[in-house]
Amino acid sequence: MGLYSQLKDSISRVTDRLFSEQEPKRIGIYGPPNAGKTTLANRIARDWTGDAVGAESHIPHETRRARRKENVEIERNGNSVTIDIVDTPGVTTKVDYEEFTDEMEKDDAIRRSREATEGVAEAMHWLREDVDGVIYVLDSAEDPITQVNTMLIGIIESRDLPVLIFANKIDLDDASVKRIEDAFPQHKTIPLSAKEGDNMDEVYDNIAEYFG
Amino acid sequence: MPHECTTCGRTFPDGSKEMLSGCPDCGGNKFQFAPAGQVSADTAETAESADVAESADSTSRSGSTDTAGTVERAAKTVRGWVSSNSGQASDSQTTDDPQSAVDTTPPAANGRSESSEIAPAGREETPRESDRPDDDRSWPSSDESAEPESTAETAAFDEWPETARRPEDRSDAAANDPTPTDGPTPGAGSTRTEGDSDGGAAPAQSASRPRSRSDSPTPSQSDGTDSSEGGDGSIMADSEDAAQADARSAIVQTDDLPDETDAHDRTATSTDETDVPPSERGRVVSEPSGEQPSIEELRAELNEQFESIKIVSPGQYELNLMELYNREEYIISLQEDGRYVIDVPDSWHAEDDEE
Repeated sequence: MGLYSQLKDSISRVTDRLFSEQEPKRIGIYGPPNAGKTTLANRIARDWTGDAVGAESHIPHETRRARRKENVEIERNGNSVTIDIVDTPGVTTKVDYEEFTDEMEKDDAIRRSREATEGVAEAMHWLREDVDGVIYVLDSAEDPITQVNTMLIGIIESRDLPVLIFANKIDLDDASVKRIEDAFPQHKTIPLSAKEGDNMDEVYDNIAEYFG
Repeated sequence: MPHECTTCGRTFPDGSKEMLSGCPDCGGNKFQFAPAGQVSADTAETAESADVAESADSTSRSGSTDTAGTVERAAKTVRGWVSSNSGQASDSQTTDDPQSAVDTTPPAANGRSESSEIAPAGREETPRESDRPDDDRSWPSSDESAEPESTAETAAFDEWPETARRPEDRSDAAANDPTPTDGPTPGAGSTRTEGDSDGGAAPAQSASRPRSRSDSPTPSQSDGTDSSEGGDGSIMADSEDAAQADARSAIVQTDDLPDETDAHDRTATSTDETDVPPSERGRVVSEPSGEQPSIEELRAELNEQFESIKIVSPGQYELNLMELYNREEYIISLQEDGRYVIDVPDSWHAEDDEE
């Protein structure tokens, strides 16, 4: 049945693209590893489609292939916006299997590391060609000014992609939304906790507004 | 045992493949060339050849290293061939030459890659060779004029490698009929030798021909240098050249007759092949030494070429996000040997990703 629905989805997507002016925007969820991208993607998908996107984990690089949830229809204020959500692997400049050796065997850690690296390459490639807008997810408890964040935001800006910055994990004690706002004042920052579901209304409002 | 591990002192014979993968005892990967331990004839030979190569490199670093080195090597090999073929050990120098000639091929190749490692040792031949590279540099000037003998030597060396110049030499020294028959290269050599041994023009020519024979395995440049040496010796009456000339003339007589026909062909071919054979030799010899580093070098090259992902070690990567973003190809999978599997992305990937 999955295959059938998949086929149906893809066909409907094609027909949508061919005959509908409202082609769903493909929104990439980007950010450093462990910022809560998959958690956010899952919450959005569950809220509007009932399905999850992928597994979540506290271990970085759980998402090592870009996953897409298509035709997520978000209704706000009587309008409906359909988007494709692309959950991407966390982007980083360095992947070291020793990060994972506490959690798993060395061989698994090495494989995870390699897959994560492939995932970053994939994410960067998607960013180059396959996304129409970006949700940039940051951990509010972490310093947002990093090489990765600066570079990715710069790339997104250079492509003139619409971008929302999500200050995630506001449920944590040492979260600081202001630190993120100050780091990227040129973009709208929305605080939320994807895990707890905090402030999701504002999230959807902004998604509909920005990407609709 | 010319090669010595710098960490544990273990020695390896020249050309040993053990050291290509590091010292089996201590794992060290630095080796020094140790000519001091020359005991056997082999070591002496290698040392000589090494010296030659080094001198050639040192002198000719400026630009004509390859040509100079090849010329020198070729010259030696030719001498070696001649002397060995003749079976005559005319001079101490000539005796040294055949040894070196035997070795020269491998060291010559090494000369390019390993030249720095080789320890110098002054020998009679080295000064000549050192002169030759200089001559090579001065080729254009030397070509124009067949000048006074002092320059004539150098000029001869320079000119000789290139066959076209010989006619000039002929005109200068003495134009003989047989030279044209041999073709450009051998003829020139013959003319000069004839000048020395005026009594028998035929043997002199023959002498030039055997050189060409010896050259045929080696590049034509070797012919030029050899012949030039012989010619110089005849003209200049230098001690070295004279000795060589003597050896050659003697050799020539023995070998001439059967090879004359061949000589023409070889000369002709040699002229064409001038550049190729030396390089081939160099490759053959140098390859074993180059292989081991080549693996690491290849990896380094790959990392440099594909700067987007640097494999520090298995499971440890450094990523250049801008490179990854900019590259057209889509990296599907990454392998630890530094290779990527890449593809051009299409719109098909959604289905797999969804599940």
